[in-house]
Amino acid sequence: MNDSKQTQGTGALAGLRILDFGQGVSAPHCARLFADYGADVIKIEPRHGDAARSSGPYPGDQPHPERSGLFFFHNTNKRGVTCDVSHPEGRALFLDLVRRADVLIENNLPAQMRAWGLDYPTLAAINPHLVMISITPFGQTGPYSEWHGQDLNAYHLSGASARYCGRPGEMPLEHGTFSADYFGSVAAAAWGLAAVMGREMVGGGQQVDVSCAEAIAAAFVGGQNIGGLAQDGRWDSRTGVGMPLGAPATILPCKNGHVWMLALEPGQWKGLCKVMGDPEWASLEMFNDMYTRAQNADLIYGLMSDWLMAHDKMEIMEKCQAAGCPVTAVFTIEEAARHRHLQARHYFVDIEHPELGRLHCLGAPFKLPASPGGPRTPAPLLGEHNREVFAGLLGRTAAELDHLGAIGAI
Amino acid sequence: MSNKLPLQGIRVINFGWVWAGPVVGQTLGFLGAEVLKIESRARVDMTRNLPPFAEGIANPDRSLSNHACWAGNGSVTIDLKHAEGRALALRLIAESDVVIENFGPGVMERLGFGYEALRAVREDIVLFSMPAAGLYGPLEHVRTYGLSLTSLTGLDSLVGYKDGPPIPVENAYSDPFAGIFGAFAILTALRNRRRTGQGQHIDFSQQEAVMQMVGPAYMDYLFNGRSGTPRGNEHPTATMAPHGVFPCRGDDRWIAIAVASDAEWMALIEIMDRPDWACDPALVTTAGRLRAIGEIHDAIAAWTCDFEVRALAERLQRAGVAATPVLRVADLLDDPHYRARGTFIEVTHPLGFRETIYGPYVKMSRSPAAVRPGPAMGQDNDHAFLEILKLPADEYQRLKDSRVIY
Repeated sequence: MNDSKQTQGTGALAGLRILDFGQGVSAPHCARLFADYGADVIKIEPRHGDAARSSGPYPGDQPHPERSGLFFFHNTNKRGVTCDVSHPEGRALFLDLVRRADVLIENNLPAQMRAWGLDYPTLAAINPHLVMISITPFGQTGPYSEWHGQDLNAYHLSGASARYCGRPGEMPLEHGTFSADYFGSVAAAAWGLAAVMGREMVGGGQQVDVSCAEAIAAAFVGGQNIGGLAQDGRWDSRTGVGMPLGAPATILPCKNGHVWMLALEPGQWKGLCKVMGDPEWASLEMFNDMYTRAQNADLIYGLMSDWLMAHDKMEIMEKCQAAGCPVTAVFTIEEAARHRHLQARHYFVDIEHPELGRLHCLGAPFKLPASPGGPRTPAPLLGEHNREVFAGLLGRTAAELDHLGAIGAI
Repeated sequence: MSNKLPLQGIRVINFGWVWAGPVVGQTLGFLGAEVLKIESRARVDMTRNLPPFAEGIANPDRSLSNHACWAGNGSVTIDLKHAEGRALALRLIAESDVVIENFGPGVMERLGFGYEALRAVREDIVLFSMPAAGLYGPLEHVRTYGLSLTSLTGLDSLVGYKDGPPIPVENAYSDPFAGIFGAFAILTALRNRRRTGQGQHIDFSQQEAVMQMVGPAYMDYLFNGRSGTPRGNEHPTATMAPHGVFPCRGDDRWIAIAVASDAEWMALIEIMDRPDWACDPALVTTAGRLRAIGEIHDAIAAWTCDFEVRALAERLQRAGVAATPVLRVADLLDDPHYRARGTFIEVTHPLGFRETIYGPYVKMSRSPAAVRPGPAMGQDNDHAFLEILKLPADEYQRLKDSRVIY
């Protein structure tokens, strides 16, 4: 149970036993980070499976609970069991796992956890060393703690969209992915791992309460906006143009897609002008510094467009970078996936899955040379490790497991 | 409650600058580590000069946003252009567990702080580097700003109005994201050190860490060869409908509504008083609603625009529908939830003025996080040089006079 008791495995976090009692993105992704670096992560799913199993993407868009890309991505390296915690015997099994765990990661509504009798005080009473990482859109306390919420709700409650994404007068935009869930999950992993490593220091386990909305509202939006708001009542809204204080600083279309066009400092602007062939207009006084360029941004973007539309985004990026100008191509997912840089860094790993075949997956999120990590084994099939975990770890007999299956507890 | 914090006893030297690097130190600081950021008046970090300033007085020690983003990092001023300054920094590293830097690849080596040089003074040091695209590879020297870093991951290609071009997110989401993520990376390395006694040099490519956020879209590419495109506020894997942001009464007032189940759909249409939808067999399943998502969203937008956003959100929540106001920056300080959770707090800066920063956004039941205000330049010099390095007073004074400590 403690750090010192080693279970099998290698990696920085080997010896830690983690229970993933989450669904969707936030808690499973947090648990995957622990699994990536060697922790023994047991995923506990309801009998019908994690909701992500009924979410795409699927190969050929054909729904199948064992072929969800969303589920696969967040659950590699884990063992999977099924357990109906609303069933008394299922709950007993769950508590038995909690007794042997270092960490429980979950993303259920607080009211749901209480209804199951799985709130933190109950679990702490049977395992005082347990670190319980609860990741929800709004957190465990406060007036919205009982609200229903998806990633969309958490993100928009943070102020991020109204401030930073979309055109004025039009609707504020989401971030193209499960942005709040991911932000919350990495915060949960960092603070949660510290809680685990500091158990002896602080005198035991604890609940780590993560609100995805709050993490973004604080560390992304708050950091840059709250001081001015509190002191001067000053605040800003989205402009739709990228960076309004300097130019060029926005996403612009080119021949085969888009580029993030950035040239603020004098050297960068000079570099960009050189790459564009030093057009006559660029020497006009109004384009001398980034502030006056910003005042004339529309004009400048218009004047650049012929050149942009005549050139390929990777070529623009390469030439601008060589000229000291931090322009980047807006990679599509395919371009990111195929880029030689990521290939050269062995970012991708191949994993064999019984239903999906061989998959070329995103690998470790960061490189630890002395204790490498990343996905190695596929996401578990539903209930794949019931016998291994319940018999091997909890010592239940085959007959007991048959009984638990028959009454619907597992 | 404990009077100790989980990372007490861990000392961190932070060369991080601008935003991402300081957030790595801040995260460890919240959790009890002693974090000493190395900076210098000889080359003041650009974010110290960002307005607005405390009490309107422009000064590198008064940038409000900088204090919020750097809070929890101490500050030690050393001019690294001086050989003596670099030697002092190395002596501090010898007394520390972790070194953080977010320069481009090669800069630490040029300063004499490459991993091998650090190991020579501290065998088990954990060096954390977070360049844009990692420490090696064809894009090793790629130059980005935080707000454009996401373009290298594919993420930017997914953000925008449906069927429209990519729209830039107007600030560097990846900076605090990678900053907090980086703290996790450091803790994994520290745990490995605890098990094996071995330090290491973490190669944290911001591109690779942030690209994990496009995992779901990447899987679609892997399975179906599709590269995602902007889809407004629709669900990233097209699993929920309706799923959008709709106008409410007032200036720039919007409500976010996400329907995950058929039961939530029935609850929504009851409140909307749309019995025709309830009987429409084309709309009773998620698949059917996804096919008709455009018309459904138009009808919801026509309905929501007459309501006050908070009242409508509360009404929908009572019926079990996931609905929340889209908050503007102006709403954050007064929002009852953030007030109840103490998300934003007023602190006294070491120079004496009051300012509002964000507090611990993660709540720890046994060891509530440490809150320290943003650092004044050099506020920890006495501690670093007199207590940690035990410099004689006259030597300390000489180094200050000669602007090595500056």
